Amino acid sequence: MTDLLAKQKQDEKWGMVIDLDICSGCQACVTACSMENNIPFVGEDEMAYGRGMQWMRIRRYWDGEYPEVTPSHQPMLCQQCGSAPCEPVCPVFATLHSEVEKINLQVYNRCIGTRYCANNCPFHARTFNWFDYEIPAPMNSYLNPDVTVRRRGVMEKCTFCVQRIVKGRQGASAEGRELADGDVTPACAQACPTDAITFGNLSDPESRVSKMARGDRAYKELVNLGTEPRVTYLKGGKSYGG
Amino acid sequence: METNVRMILFKEDQVDQASNAIETLHHHGISDKDISVISGVPFSEKILGRPMSWTRVPQIAIAGAFFGFVIASILNFFVPHLYKLSVGGMPLTPIPTSIVVTFELTMLGLLISTFLGVFIEMLSPSFGPKGYHPKISDGYIGILFECPSNTDEETCFELQDLGAEIVDVEEVKQP
Amino acid sequence: MAADVKPFVGSKAKPHQESEAEELRKEHLMLDPMPRDEMNQMVMEAMTTTTPKFWAWVIGLALAVAVLLFGTWGYMIASGMGVAGIRRPVFWGIFIVTFVFWIGISHAGTFVSAILRVFKAEFRRPFTRAAELMTTFGLAAGALYPLIHLGRVWVFYWMIPYPNARWLWPNFRSALVWDFLAITTYLLSSTIYLFLPLIPDMAMARDRSTGWRHILYKTLSLGWRGTEAEWFRLRKAISIFAIAIIPVMFSVHTIVSWDFAVSMVAGWQSTIFGPYFIIGAILSGVSAVVTILYILRSTMKHMDYFIRKEHFDALGKLILIFSMAWAYFFFNEYILAWYGGDAALKQIITLHAVGPSAWVWYTMLICNVAIPWLFLWSKKVRRTPWLMFIITLLVNVGMYAERYTIIPLTLGHQRSPFDWGIYNPTIVEVSIALGTLCLFILLYLLASRIIPLVPVWEVQEGQMSHTLRKIGKTEIPSVTDLE
Repeated sequence: MTDLLAKQKQDEKWGMVIDLDICSGCQACVTACSMENNIPFVGEDEMAYGRGMQWMRIRRYWDGEYPEVTPSHQPMLCQQCGSAPCEPVCPVFATLHSEVEKINLQVYNRCIGTRYCANNCPFHARTFNWFDYEIPAPMNSYLNPDVTVRRRGVMEKCTFCVQRIVKGRQGASAEGRELADGDVTPACAQACPTDAITFGNLSDPESRVSKMARGDRAYKELVNLGTEPRVTYLKGGKSYGG
Repeated sequence: METNVRMILFKEDQVDQASNAIETLHHHGISDKDISVISGVPFSEKILGRPMSWTRVPQIAIAGAFFGFVIASILNFFVPHLYKLSVGGMPLTPIPTSIVVTFELTMLGLLISTFLGVFIEMLSPSFGPKGYHPKISDGYIGILFECPSNTDEETCFELQDLGAEIVDVEEVKQP
Repeated sequence: MAADVKPFVGSKAKPHQESEAEELRKEHLMLDPMPRDEMNQMVMEAMTTTTPKFWAWVIGLALAVAVLLFGTWGYMIASGMGVAGIRRPVFWGIFIVTFVFWIGISHAGTFVSAILRVFKAEFRRPFTRAAELMTTFGLAAGALYPLIHLGRVWVFYWMIPYPNARWLWPNFRSALVWDFLAITTYLLSSTIYLFLPLIPDMAMARDRSTGWRHILYKTLSLGWRGTEAEWFRLRKAISIFAIAIIPVMFSVHTIVSWDFAVSMVAGWQSTIFGPYFIIGAILSGVSAVVTILYILRSTMKHMDYFIRKEHFDALGKLILIFSMAWAYFFFNEYILAWYGGDAALKQIITLHAVGPSAWVWYTMLICNVAIPWLFLWSKKVRRTPWLMFIITLLVNVGMYAERYTIIPLTLGHQRSPFDWGIYNPTIVEVSIALGTLCLFILLYLLASRIIPLVPVWEVQEGQMSHTLRKIGKTEIPSVTDLE
């Protein structure tokens, strides 16, 4: 497989920065991610019971007393941890650490559905296919051919749009050049109307994500758990956490 | 010299008489390897004045434990190198997790081989007179011995004096 | 020798001495020997008697298992895990709770049969086999759950280490694979440990049966005659097993507890889970033994000769001690979380006590602690079989509540309030759990009529070693070590 990949002079270590000051909670990223990755609709009742399949979700907290109630929004997705707690607990190696992209991979074909990984994720980033969801016509003709449609019994989660990473890499190699910053944009970053989501290669110190991750406002969620998340949040908009 | 296989029965609480009977048989020149004692409740060989039996079950058990240990080591330290899959920042063959697998498979090897040892030893042919009587499981001690036919009757009368029940030759069955 | 006891009846003993010996005889099975062939007859009768009521139960339970367990499970396989009540973030629910419960129950047999044997507690003799059957069938019921809770159960075999063309082996770093190995080891070992002391009783049954039973027992008794060599080997193997199966038993429930303890879930990362679960399992198991002994005593012929109030008394004391040990471990966990735990942990224990499912937590404390501590002190209560039956049933209800508190309630209340969730079990999960209970009872019922439930040779061995010894002015039971 590795000989099909372009020869890179630099390593890949994909990461993301989300600026909470300019996130408006519009859920465009959620929608775009669902369209890009063939995420099924589960219906209103199932959503209410917490069975939503969205890989990217907006955590919304209400602050203040009525009538001065304000929300704070935080997009939460798989943090693609460097030392992912979901990986060692899978009995069949269905979730692995990618050697090349250094993100966390989910192998749908291998998953037998023990759901231990989902329990062990401190960010609750993983979702499970509880049923075989039917994608109603004509939505089933909008499916992305680059992404598998998962059947029941299989775990899934955000993949940093790995299909776009591979496409970007192959495109750059076809043009005979290195991957440049901005070549690869995941669906959520592409759709965000305020450009709150930035994606790029963390092992390149000059990329936008690296510079933003070194900024003053940068923090990581649950960083003291030691899972080495690849997603950095920038404080603002009532989220001063970290 | 022609020998007959005779069987005598003692009730389970007549252990003293049974051990005396075995002594009597020794005096008549019948050696220990021509005598079998069967009973429904275990009696230590020392109680009846018999040589200790042999068994290789402990050695088989240790061999099985070693085999389990080897399999566990293969699964822990060799197999992951066939197709290297890295997970969670852990090394490929961490020692703490191998201890768990090693313990389980070693114990499995120990216990299964103990059973197989017993199984094989029970199915292997045994020395000494063969024979059985259903009354054994009803609480009797049975003594089977090979008696030269010329001293047969005399021996039997002596044993009867000690309180033994002589079993007819036809009734001595196989289990 | 056992014969010594008989002369007291009708001898020229003083009246109070005579009634004392008589009382000891009625109280202790070991001092009340019967002729061996009578005992064999009693055990054979208990095994071969089947009433219409028995068959009604068997048919009813078989139907229940077919519908509640396999029917519902088939429905779940066909439709998907969504018919169960699990959801994000509570990805493990009643299936895993019941799994841990059955593995806990299965510790009964090993405790009675191995630990009490090693400690030479003579009162264990009549019920070692009844307890070992509980282990085997508890494991059979529990081992179904790692299959039931799988999202894609048709590829479950990927968890089994077998050579394949892709060189893909299971992940030995995962606690679930350790589970698989531990439960396989325990199931095989306890089945063998059930079988080994059964061989002489199979020989006894072979000598006293005809037809299909005779063929079955003849095969299973492996040509047993009772020679010294056979006994020697059997005793050796049984002692190896008794000593080796104790660490296996500890390791099995420790590994099951590590399914939770090695994870990063707040409230589960606790070093005390290993011993906590083991003590809980022994408490659960010994209580289940008492429950089953009561049922056996009331429903099988002649069992009231073998199982007497002294056994309920002794087991009751053990249950009280283990209940105290369980309370020690529980409080250990609780006070550490309460005192110095981080925010998530403190919230979890508050939720357990005042949240919407607090009744589960209180059920656990009342059934595991309050009821044993209030009632099992009294000798009178311990010696009343039907009271012990109710108390031990409640203890097991409490232990089920404990696992329910630890698993779904903790999972639903982790570090991010936006992702908290309440778990509502559905009829599918309850039905499957009941189905495995019916399976356990059904297997036990069938086994009670196929193999003799009382290890007669062990009881006889015990009776032979017990005598009454006159010391001073009284008779005292004394045990000789025939081994």
